[in-house]
Amino acid sequence: MDTQAAQLRSSRAGASGLGATGGVLPFLALLAVGAALPLFVGGYWGLIATRACIYWVLVSGLNLVVGFAGQIAIGWVALLALGAYTASVLTAGTAVPELSPYLALVIAAAVGAVFGLIVGLPALRLRTFYFAITTLGFATIVNQVALAWQSVTGGGVGVAGPIFPDPFSSKWGFYYFCFGLAAICTWMTANIAASRFGRALTAIRDAEVAAEACGIAKPALLTAVFLFSGAVAGIAGALFASLQSYITPDAFPLDLSILFFIAVLIGGRGSILGPLLGTILLTALPEFAAPLVAWSTFLYAVLLLVIVLAIPGGIAEILDFKNRRPLESHRAIVPQPDLLPGLIGTPTDGGALTLEQVALSFGGVQAIDGLDLEIRPGQVHGLIGPNGSGKTTTLNVISGYYLQQRGAVRLNGTVLRALARNRRAHMRIARTFQTPRIVGSASVLQNVMIGGTIDGKGTFVESLLSLPRHHRDEVMLHDTATLALAAVGLERLGGVRADRLQHSELRFIEIARALMLRPAYLLLDEPAAGLSAEEIKRLGALLVAIAQAGTGVLVVEHHPDLIFDICHHVTVLNLGKKLAAGTPTEIRSHPEVVNAYLGG
Amino acid sequence: MIQSIVLSGVAIGSIYALIGITYNVMFSASRVFSFTAGTLGMIGGVLGSLFIARMGMPVAAGLLLALVGGAVLGIVTEIVAVRPVLRSLDQHLYVLSTLALALMVQQFVAIEWGTDARPFPRLLPTARTDFDQQFWLPMLACIVVIVGLELLYRYTLVGRAFLAIAEDNFAARALGLPERGLRIASFALAGAIGTLAGFAGGELLLAFFGNAPMLTFYGFIPVALGGMGNNRGAVVAGLLLGLFQQTANFLIGGIFASVAVFTVFILVLLMRPEGLAGVTAQRRV
Amino acid sequence: MSLTRRQALASAGVAVVASSLAKPAIAANEPIRVGYLPALTGPSSSTGIGITRGTELAVAEINAAGGIDGRPLELITRDTQSDPTKAVNAAAELVNQQQVKVVLGPLNSGESLAAVPMLARSKTLQVHPCWVDSLTDPAKYPMCFRNAPTNQQIGGAANGYVVDVLKHKKVAVISDTTGYGTASVNAYVPMLKTKGAEVVYQGNVDAANPDLKPELLRMQSAGAEAIMPWSVNAGFLSRIINTRGDMGWDVPIVGQTTLGSGQTKDLLEKPEYWAKVYPNNFRPVCYAPGGKLPERTAAFLDRLKSAKIDLSDTLLWWIALGYDSPRMIAEAMKAVGPEPDKIVGYLNKLKGFPGVYGDISFTPEQHNGYPDGEVVMVEANSLKDGAFNLAPGYST
Repeated sequence: MDTQAAQLRSSRAGASGLGATGGVLPFLALLAVGAALPLFVGGYWGLIATRACIYWVLVSGLNLVVGFAGQIAIGWVALLALGAYTASVLTAGTAVPELSPYLALVIAAAVGAVFGLIVGLPALRLRTFYFAITTLGFATIVNQVALAWQSVTGGGVGVAGPIFPDPFSSKWGFYYFCFGLAAICTWMTANIAASRFGRALTAIRDAEVAAEACGIAKPALLTAVFLFSGAVAGIAGALFASLQSYITPDAFPLDLSILFFIAVLIGGRGSILGPLLGTILLTALPEFAAPLVAWSTFLYAVLLLVIVLAIPGGIAEILDFKNRRPLESHRAIVPQPDLLPGLIGTPTDGGALTLEQVALSFGGVQAIDGLDLEIRPGQVHGLIGPNGSGKTTTLNVISGYYLQQRGAVRLNGTVLRALARNRRAHMRIARTFQTPRIVGSASVLQNVMIGGTIDGKGTFVESLLSLPRHHRDEVMLHDTATLALAAVGLERLGGVRADRLQHSELRFIEIARALMLRPAYLLLDEPAAGLSAEEIKRLGALLVAIAQAGTGVLVVEHHPDLIFDICHHVTVLNLGKKLAAGTPTEIRSHPEVVNAYLGG
Repeated sequence: MIQSIVLSGVAIGSIYALIGITYNVMFSASRVFSFTAGTLGMIGGVLGSLFIARMGMPVAAGLLLALVGGAVLGIVTEIVAVRPVLRSLDQHLYVLSTLALALMVQQFVAIEWGTDARPFPRLLPTARTDFDQQFWLPMLACIVVIVGLELLYRYTLVGRAFLAIAEDNFAARALGLPERGLRIASFALAGAIGTLAGFAGGELLLAFFGNAPMLTFYGFIPVALGGMGNNRGAVVAGLLLGLFQQTANFLIGGIFASVAVFTVFILVLLMRPEGLAGVTAQRRV
Repeated sequence: MSLTRRQALASAGVAVVASSLAKPAIAANEPIRVGYLPALTGPSSSTGIGITRGTELAVAEINAAGGIDGRPLELITRDTQSDPTKAVNAAAELVNQQQVKVVLGPLNSGESLAAVPMLARSKTLQVHPCWVDSLTDPAKYPMCFRNAPTNQQIGGAANGYVVDVLKHKKVAVISDTTGYGTASVNAYVPMLKTKGAEVVYQGNVDAANPDLKPELLRMQSAGAEAIMPWSVNAGFLSRIINTRGDMGWDVPIVGQTTLGSGQTKDLLEKPEYWAKVYPNNFRPVCYAPGGKLPERTAAFLDRLKSAKIDLSDTLLWWIALGYDSPRMIAEAMKAVGPEPDKIVGYLNKLKGFPGVYGDISFTPEQHNGYPDGEVVMVEANSLKDGAFNLAPGYST
C-alpha cells in the first residue's frame, strides 16, 4: 500500500458494536443505573425493571427484524408465547419429565429460533403488508393451539412458569438474571449492527436492489436474523413465564405485540439505543400514568403516529446530535484517481463481458432486439441512445434483473445465469443506479462499506459474539471504504448521514461503493446526471482511471461530451437495436447518429 | 344444516368481501393498504347502533349518518395517515401510520362505547325467516357496491379518473388530473363502503369494538387471494373465505377453524404471492 | 420458598425504615391500607365494576361506623385492565410500593392465576372470589382465601340441576374459545359423565362467529335435551338464546351466570326468548318462591337503594360479594388487629361469617369458604334489582 493510502488509515472510532452505534456512554450509564437499581427503588419498580429487561431481550432481536431489515413483523408475541409455554411445560413435569429451568431456557431458545424462522420466512416471498398480516395470523394460531392443547399447555387454566433456582429465585436475583441477559442481548445486537451483516440488513431495508447488486443474499441473511430473533424471543418468553409465575393464553394479548413493535419504531430504525430506550419508556410509562391506564394503548398509538409523521428517525434521531452540525456549504468533490490501483488491485486477466443477440420484450414492446455487445477489461464502453432505446434494460439484463428471452450474456465465455442477481457481485460485476440507491440513515462510510459485504470472512455468529475474524473484517472493510471514499473525493464526509448529502455526492458514493467490489466490470447508469460541468469532468477522469486500473467500464449516458471524451468504444442504441458502434471518432462522424442525436 | 352453513358463510363472506373492496379502493388511489379498513366496518356497526338504537333515529337517517361518519373517517385517514407518508412510499411508513390510527379509533370506541357487544337494531320490520334479513342484507350490500363501482368506473368521468389514477399515478398527474382530490374522494368512498359493510352486517356482528381487528384480518384475506386492487377477485375470495370458515367452524370447531383459516391463507399466499387471480408485476429497476 | 439472604436483608431494611417512619403515626388515626385489584376496564370489566360498587359501599360504612378501633380502612384500588400482566404489575405495586398487607382480588381467574403465587411469595393476605379450583391451596398459598364458590361448585350446581332436577340425560356443552370457556367445558364434561348424563355435543365456538345455528342444529339432531353454555361473553350467550328461539326449539339453557346479565338481555331479539334460561346464581341473593329476598339481603338491598347504587346494569351477587370481602377483613382486624399473620389465624377458624352473598367458613386445610348448597340456578327472565327467582324445582 502506498504512503498516501496509509495516511488515510484513520484511527477507528470504537471497534466494538456499542461504540459504533452512537457512543458507548449511554449504554454504560444504563448499565450502571441498572446494576445499582436495587439501591434506589423497591420491589415494585424492581418488577417493572425486570419486565423491561425481559421485553428488551425480545425487542433486541425484533429490532434486527423490524428496525434493521425493515420487515413489518407485528405478531412477535407468538414467539414470546411459544418460549413461555415451552419453558413452563418442560419444568412443570406434567407432559414430560421435569427438566432443569436452565435446560428449559435453552430449549425455549431453540424452539423460538425454529419458529422465528417459520414466522419470518414468508418475508422472502411476501410484500410488507402481506407479511404483517401473516405474522398476526401466526399469533392467532399459537394462541389457539395453546388453548386447545390442554393436556400439555393446561388450556385455559394455563400452566405454572419455571422458577430459577438460587441465586436467581429472589426478586432481585431474578432481576439480575434478566438484566444480565438483556445486557448480553444489547451487546450482541450492537455487534451485529456494527458489522457487515447489520449494514447489509439496512441495505435490504432501504435499497434492496443495491443490496443485491452488492452480492448480499437476502435469504441467508434474513434466515440468520430470524433464527436469532426467534431464539431471544424464546428466552424472553421463558423469563416472562417465570416473572408472571403462571401463564394462560390471556397473558399474550395482541396489545403486547404492538408494544414490542412500537418500541422499535419510536426508538428509531437502525439504532440499538433508541429501541432500548423505547422499550423502557413503554414498559414504565403506564405505571406513571395510573389515571390514564385505560388509555395506554391509545397513547401508544398516538405516540406511534406522532413519531411516524414528525420524527421518522425516532428517539435515535433526537439523540443524534452529531448530525445536526451544519455541513460545509461549498464542498467540492475532488477524486484522487491515483489511489485506484491500491484499491482495485491487479486485475485478473480475463476475457470479456459479452452480450450475444440478446432480446427482451415487455408486453408488445421490444425493449432490446438482438443486441451484441462486448465490454473489455481496461476499457471504457459507452452506451448512448434516446430515451426508451433500451440502455438501462441492457444494464438490467447484465445485472440479472431481467431475463432475456433470446441470446446469452457471457463472462469470459461462461453463460451468466439470469436472475441470480446477488451472484453478479461474486463475479466482480458492480453497478450504480439511475437514481442513487443508498441507505439514508447510515453514514457515508457505512454506505460504502456495504459494497464490500461479500469480502468479509467471519460468520453471523462470529459477529454476534465479536470474535477476532469479525474485527479483522471490520478493519479491512473500514480501511478499504476509507480508501474508496478518498479515491472518489468524499473522504471528509465519511461520518455524515448519507441523506444529508447533495445529489451529485450520492452518485460518487455509489461509485465508491461499487469500487469496494474491486470490480472486473463496472456498470454505470447515467452517472453524470445532475452533475455540474466541473463535476462531470472529474467524473470522466475518475472513470478513465478506473479503466486504467484494469476494470471494464460500461457507461450509459446522455452527455455526448463525456462519452466521447472517455470512451474507447461507443455503442448507439435505437429502439432496442444497435444503430452504430465504434470508436468515438467513428461515431462522431456516423451520418445517422449525427442526424439523429448530435444535431450535426 | 348445510343450508344454514351456506347462508351464514355467504353472508359473512359478503362482509369480508366488502372490507376487501374497502382495502382495494384505498389502495387503488394511493398504493397504500390501510389498517383502518376493518375499523371502518366496526364503526359501521357502532354508529348504526348509536344512531338508531340509542338515539332513536329512523333507519334511513341512521344509515346515511353512519355512511357520512365512515366517509369522514376515510378522509381523516387520508389526511392524517396517508398523505404525509406518500412521499416515502418505499419506506412503508403507511403500515405504521394507518396501524396507529386504527388502534386509536379502536381504543377510543372500547373506552367510550364499552368492550361488551351491544345490540344492533333490526333494520326492517319483517318477521324472522330462515333466509333472514341478517343474512341477505350483507349480500345485498355487496351486490350494490359491486354494481355501483362498476357503473361508476365505466360510465362516469370521475370513475374513469379513479381508474386512471389506479393505473398509473404519475401519468394521471401528468395528464392534469386532480390527483389529490381524487385520492380524498377515494378514501371517502372507501370509508362509506367499509361502514356499509359493518352496518349491513350489524345484525350478525353486533356493535362490538373487537370486530375491528377481526375484520382487518379477515377482510385482507380476500384482497391477498383475489389480487390487490381486483374487486371481483375480492368478492369471489371473500365468499370462499366465508364458506370455508363456517364449514371449518362446523366441522372442526372454533379453535381449529381459526387455525385452519390462517394456515390455509399463509400457505396459499406463499404459493401464490400475487393472489389466486393476480399477475406478477414487472420489477422496476 | 425459602427467604434468601438478600431478601432478608432487604426486608429488614424496609422494616427499619417503615417502623422509624410509621411508629408515631400508628398511635393516631393512621388508616389501614387495603389493596384492591378489580378489572375496571377491558373485557372483564362488568363484573369488576359491579363488585367494586359493593366493596366501596362496605368500606364507606365501616369507616362511618368508626373504622377499626378508630382507624379507617383505606382502599387502594388499581385497575388491572383485564390483563394478567397488568395485574402482576399492580399487585407488585400494592405490596412493594404501597406496603399493603391485605389484598382483595384480582376478581377474575386469568389475573389471579398470576397474582396468587406472587402475593403468596410476598406474604400478603389475599381474599379473592375467582373460581378456578387451583387458586386456593393452603399448603402452597397459606395466606390466600376464597370467599366464593369454586368451578367444581358452579359446575356441580348446573350439572345437578340438569340431571337431577330437570331429569335430562342428553346434554350439549358449548363454550367460546377463551381460556375460561375451554377450561370449563373440559372440567364439566367429565363431571356430567360421572353423574350418568350423556354429553351428546361438546364444542368450542369462536365468540366472534355470528351464526350459531349450525351448532344448535347439530345439538338438536344429536338429541340434546339441555344446552349448557360456559362463557362470560354476552354476545355469544345471546346468540345461543336467540338461535334457540328462532328455531323454536324448546330446550332449557342452563349455565354461566352471565346468561342472566343485563348485557345479555339487551342483545335478545325478543324478551320471551329469555324463558327457560337458567343461569348460575346464589341462594342468599335470590327471591324465594314467595318473591321475597332473605331478610339479610332485603335489608342490604334497602341500603343499596338509599345509597343510590345503580342496580340496573349489574347483578346483586356481584355487589353482595364485593360488599362482604372488606367486612370480613374488618371483622378479623377488629378481633385480632391488622397484622396479616393474625388475620390468617383468625380466618383459619372462621365459622359462618354472615355475608350477604353467603356464610363463609374456613379451616386451616380448607380455604374455599363458600357453602356448597348455596350455588343454585335461577330463572333469567325474573331479573329484578339484579336478583332472580330460584329456578323451578328448588325447595325453599
